[in-house]
Amino acid sequence: MPKGPPTELFMPPNLLKTKVGGTIAGLDTAAIKRAEAAMENLKTEFSDWIADDIARFVNAYDAFLATKDHSRCSNLFRASHDLKGQAATFEFPLVARVASSLCKLIATLGSHDKVPLPLVEAHVDAIRVIYRDRIKDVSNLTALTLVEELEKRVTKALAHASHES
Amino acid sequence: MSGYRFDKLKILVVDDNQHMRKLVITVLQAFGTTHILEAEDGERAWAIMREANPDVVLLDWQMPGMTGVEFAQMVRTSPKTPNPFVPIIMLTGHTHIDHVRQARDAGVNEFLAKPVSVKGILTRLVSVIEQPRPFVRTSTYFGPCRRRRTGGEYKGTERRSTAEVTAVDG
Repeated sequence: MPKGPPTELFMPPNLLKTKVGGTIAGLDTAAIKRAEAAMENLKTEFSDWIADDIARFVNAYDAFLATKDHSRCSNLFRASHDLKGQAATFEFPLVARVASSLCKLIATLGSHDKVPLPLVEAHVDAIRVIYRDRIKDVSNLTALTLVEELEKRVTKALAHASHES
Repeated sequence: MSGYRFDKLKILVVDDNQHMRKLVITVLQAFGTTHILEAEDGERAWAIMREANPDVVLLDWQMPGMTGVEFAQMVRTSPKTPNPFVPIIMLTGHTHIDHVRQARDAGVNEFLAKPVSVKGILTRLVSVIEQPRPFVRTSTYFGPCRRRRTGGEYKGTERRSTAEVTAVDG
């Protein structure tokens, strides 16, 4: 077997440690409490932030629907992905879960012509409704049933697409 | 014993979502970091990298234009990079193991799945400060060693065919 170039393994100097000094044992617990308090204070802005993110998501969906353009599908994926990552932080965990389901659908089926539009629309409507009704409780039975149904349908759609290809 | 002087660090936060940037920056400021730079896309982040040479990069994955993964690869391998060793912490909504591997293969040091938390950000920062990974250069990869630390010293035979461990200056 021909030998490739040698693998080089080396340890760069730890400039970060030199800069910050201190020790993990001496980690400033007050700083952690300060950060948690700052995060708590930000919560007053979360309702505006989630509203912005959902508006952007709905706009991305409308643009995709109007043009069926693949780049618009990427925008819809990015907006869904933002909701997937952020909605739980902004106290809408079920919105995050629906967005995650939509991300899975779009990411797996790729181009717009393979993405089943009614299922995309069902996700968008679910996110709208959960947000409209301010459902923040993950155990809300109606919302949970809706989310689980969407997840099942995505699984089914992906299995169907995989069977066809 | 003293705590870390986070005020000595210059941190670049890259995320196309302004709310997420604000959230992360608020947490960093509470830790004591005062020198925080922000960018909403990879192109701007690259310009800031070259102008300001930050000590740590907190990086989103999904952004319009250059993705976080592409940005990390550029930082590690571009001849124009100001610091190929800069610790990169990826904050992302991606959670699948394939995405973790892809980020790792791009040269990302630490991976933090959203939703973000104070503890999550802090533990990743502590990790890059206290447990920096050695760097590896092969014909196809340059970046932090991709083998996960196990907390103990590996006692088996060396599996890299021609490993050389050296220290570098600078």
